[in-house]
Amino acid sequence: MTSRSADRLILDAVRRGGPWLAGLAAAALVGAAAELALPAALAQAVDALVSGTPGGERRVILTALLVGVVVACDAVRVLAAGRAGARTALWLRRRAVVHVLSSGTALSRRLTPGEIVTRAGVNAEEVARTPEAVVTAAALLVPSAGSVIALALIDPSLAVTLVAGLVLIVAVLRAFIRRTTAASGGYQRAQGQIAARLVGALAGARTVAAAGTQDREARRVLAPLPRLREHGLDLWRLQARAGVRAAVVIPLLETAVLAVGGLRLAAGDLTVGELLAAARYVVLGAGLGSAIGYAARLARARSAAGRLDELLAAPAPAYGSRPLPDGPGRLELRGVTLDADGGPVLAGVDLIVPGGSCVAVVGRSGAGKSSLAAVAGRLADPDSGSVLLDGVPLREIDRRELRSAVGYAFERPVLFGETLGDAMGSGVPGQDGGRVRAAAAAACADGFVRRLPLGYATPIADAPMSGGEVQRIGLARAFAQAERLLILDDAMSSLDTVTERQVGRALTGGLADRTRLVVAHRAGTAARADQVVWLDEGRVRATGPHALLWRDPAYRAVFQGDS
Amino acid sequence: MRPGRFLPKVPPAAASLLWRALTRQPRLLVRLGAWSLAEAAPALAGGTAVAHAVDDGFAAGRPGTGLAWVAVPAVAWLLAAVAARQVMLAVAAVVEPFRDELLETVVTGALRAGHGDTAAVARMNHQVELARDAFAAIITVVRSFAFTLVGVALGIATLAPAVLPVVLPPVLAGLLLFLLSLPTLARRQRDVILADEATAEAVSAMAGGLRDITACGAESRAAERVGGEVVRQARAAGALAAVTAARTLTLAVGGGLPVLLLLAFTPWLLDRGLTGGVVLGALTYVMQSLTPALGGLIQGLGVSGVRLAVTLDRILGAAAPAPPRGDRTPDGVRLELRGVRFAYGPAAEPVIDDLDLVVAEGEHLAVVGPSGIGKSTLAALVTGVLTPGRGEVLLGGVPAAEVTPGARALIPQEAYVFHGSLTENLTYLAPDATPEEVDEAVALFGLAEPARRCGGRDAPLDPAALSAGERQLVALARTYLSPARLVVLDEATSHLDPAAEARAEAAFAARGGTLVVIAHRISSALRARRVLVMDGARVTAGTHDELVSASPLYADLVGHWEGGPPMGTLAAGAVAEDAEVAPGRRPQPTALGGDLDRLDA
Repeated sequence: MTSRSADRLILDAVRRGGPWLAGLAAAALVGAAAELALPAALAQAVDALVSGTPGGERRVILTALLVGVVVACDAVRVLAAGRAGARTALWLRRRAVVHVLSSGTALSRRLTPGEIVTRAGVNAEEVARTPEAVVTAAALLVPSAGSVIALALIDPSLAVTLVAGLVLIVAVLRAFIRRTTAASGGYQRAQGQIAARLVGALAGARTVAAAGTQDREARRVLAPLPRLREHGLDLWRLQARAGVRAAVVIPLLETAVLAVGGLRLAAGDLTVGELLAAARYVVLGAGLGSAIGYAARLARARSAAGRLDELLAAPAPAYGSRPLPDGPGRLELRGVTLDADGGPVLAGVDLIVPGGSCVAVVGRSGAGKSSLAAVAGRLADPDSGSVLLDGVPLREIDRRELRSAVGYAFERPVLFGETLGDAMGSGVPGQDGGRVRAAAAAACADGFVRRLPLGYATPIADAPMSGGEVQRIGLARAFAQAERLLILDDAMSSLDTVTERQVGRALTGGLADRTRLVVAHRAGTAARADQVVWLDEGRVRATGPHALLWRDPAYRAVFQGDS
Repeated sequence: MRPGRFLPKVPPAAASLLWRALTRQPRLLVRLGAWSLAEAAPALAGGTAVAHAVDDGFAAGRPGTGLAWVAVPAVAWLLAAVAARQVMLAVAAVVEPFRDELLETVVTGALRAGHGDTAAVARMNHQVELARDAFAAIITVVRSFAFTLVGVALGIATLAPAVLPVVLPPVLAGLLLFLLSLPTLARRQRDVILADEATAEAVSAMAGGLRDITACGAESRAAERVGGEVVRQARAAGALAAVTAARTLTLAVGGGLPVLLLLAFTPWLLDRGLTGGVVLGALTYVMQSLTPALGGLIQGLGVSGVRLAVTLDRILGAAAPAPPRGDRTPDGVRLELRGVRFAYGPAAEPVIDDLDLVVAEGEHLAVVGPSGIGKSTLAALVTGVLTPGRGEVLLGGVPAAEVTPGARALIPQEAYVFHGSLTENLTYLAPDATPEEVDEAVALFGLAEPARRCGGRDAPLDPAALSAGERQLVALARTYLSPARLVVLDEATSHLDPAAEARAEAAFAARGGTLVVIAHRISSALRARRVLVMDGARVTAGTHDELVSASPLYADLVGHWEGGPPMGTLAAGAVAEDAEVAPGRRPQPTALGGDLDRLDA
């Protein structure tokens, strides 16, 4: 079933090539026919000219026409293949990007970012090149197979010699592949060692810079270099041996054909032109090996299509169209259950967070705190139960409405946009510098951002930030975005105590008009909240003010076990 | 038109690198040339042998002679095969040292620049491999074409000089056309490589930030950003296809035209007494040797040349000059900052502004303040890693940047432990330390247990097998052994428990010299004789008692565990070990989560 949908994807993709694809097929077939006819035409022209029989000129013109057709078809083929491939790849990639974005977190639970990049990159390219692979294989197959037949027509023993030679080449190449894998293993190991040492040394960059030992470190990192070179030369030796063996086969085949053909020439069965044609057909016939290679590419394209199809088949959550009514940001969870591979991570959670209140979510790691945070703002949909914001189920709310109402801050926020200003304004529609700066001030990010080389305009890539600083940018982003509900998923874990207190003050001060759901590891954070929800194995174990819950030793243990 | 517009631009650094690689071993080039000559034997002999085989042998009714002539190219091919192998090894001997030099550039560049993430390192490794392969391909095809062209020209000249003016001009015209198209081709190819990378980067950023994109409702913005790259990539690929298609025409001129001209001129050649065998021989020269060599050149140079230019550009772009290294030995380690100002860029607010500070020889100073306020910048200025934009940082009267690195040591929070034995790690800054001294440091910093676990002090050590705290202990012991008289601990004890932290700081205080501690816990400040509070707006120095009244921030730092409700009522005491530090001076820190004492996390 999956392989059928993968094939359907390939067919869909092929259709996107449009007129270029037709051009590619036509050019390839016409070109292949002309290529096959060329040696014969050449032979007749040479024979007519040498023997001085009339009509020689006409044959030369025919040969010239054939050469012209081959060249023109070749050019059209290259152009059409490139254009068709580019168009198809564009269509596939766009589709993949749109789907990845609409699946969102549902997809990142199934595939790692690296896998997504491979599928939208290399795999899409392989699928997009399928038409080219098919056509080129056919275009190679026609003259190759035709050459063997043409040779057989000239002399059957020549065809037999050719086929035997091809088998020899394939055998040599296969032996080569087997041996390279062993040698390249050693090479890659040495390479990996150097890379690992470099990564280690870079982790100690400040120590190295202060000690002035950069060049000494370089020598230490490069210590495996001689071994790398040794393995590298081994690889070259292997390649030289096999490459040479393969390269000598075709000329030797050609020579053998010349010898056999020469003897036939002496016997008067063959003309000079036919001898030339036989030599050309050997070269064309040897193209059969490449045709097989293209067939292998087709197999690869199918499996690439399968991988891409897997990405496109991931479900995407649908958003509703309802606007949010005016309200204080009251959040309600009704019997929310969320399943994961190992069982439920949330099991029948009922919870009401009154509008404008601050609720802390605590519990040991694995208790379901982050899952609760994800469900509360629709980063994940519960498997059963429902979540409502100001009385409207999240699933029914319009996407824009929902996202401008709810803002998330994470433990490890991923920043995007060009500059830090962009990154903090990612959740705000349009450009609103004032709103972003106010949020940055509340998140204690304003000060250090202004000390960066270009302040708010500093490119993200040029701003080396500590974990705590990245968290502050992430907090600012959420503060600027959230109009009703602010969800902090362990978003202050890397802040130093002073900063955490300052952000905490902003949360209970300037941001107090918003509903706040705060996943916390520190008791101090829980103490500042109006209410605490204590999660245990996906269930609400207790709710109440921190001071009250603190009397329970099991509750106190939550905070000691985690940090 | 200037000739410069036709030829691809090669930056001088890349050119000198390539030239060095080629001329590193002149004898190798001689060997390469000699074997290339042997490899060109079929190109030289092929056509002539075919001509003689037909004319003197098969067509003349002497099959034996014909077979003998046919054997000539067979022998030439075998010789060429042996030669090709030697050529490849000679090419390897040129490009392997080239790869080594590139790797050296990458590694020293990364270390001197002092940053670069793991992915960047992997990308650089990949670029080095690509550059090596491209260079090898270029040497191979250019050399092969040159020798084949000369071989064919010589062969035709000996067989039938009259054919030469018919065959050579179109070949040279094809070559010229190709060289003229090369800059455009190079540009397009470069665009494709860059567009591919840009797309991969954009998709990777999108895939890594899906959760955040969804949370921000920024799907359409992200789709726009990635979509833009995808469209650019498709355009670049389409444009390259057009140029590549045009390139096949140059091969038609260089490879197809000689054959057709030869046919057209055959009656004229026959009139001048040439035989059918000679025509066959001439066609063999063109079709068997020249056209494949030209095709190889066009294919190889068109792809590999650009690849090499792009990758070298990347690799050399990442090269960094050697940082200036001080060599002056300071007279003592009195530290003095005069009107120091430092900002990370002209548009940035200064991190440190107009700072005056004197730390007397032998003094113990603690620096406190929230994270991101500039404490590590101060550490870098004091140790000469950064130089102030205004003012002076003097160590023993010498500007910090000019001080020999051995005179001071900086231990950052991320302790550096490399693959090597524990002894090697400990004597990194003190090569002359005696085994007794190393033993003492091992005992003092509690490293005996990790050493035993790793199979002894001299067994290979895997840094990942040590805990973060143990790695910090290694860095501390290493610096303890070093001859440095100024030691700066930049949160170097953040992963130690309070007791181990106190022991480490005590060891350094007892070691003599000047000690600056960027405090991770407020208890570090309590141990210091003097404290520097960095508050963003201002910097205040003084003793603990002075600062409690002078600095609101310091009072806040200290005060927030001196019994403010509601925390006081919740005390469960997780950091009671601090008791052994400065006993009796301060009220006990009463912790909630066990981490309130931490200034930084």
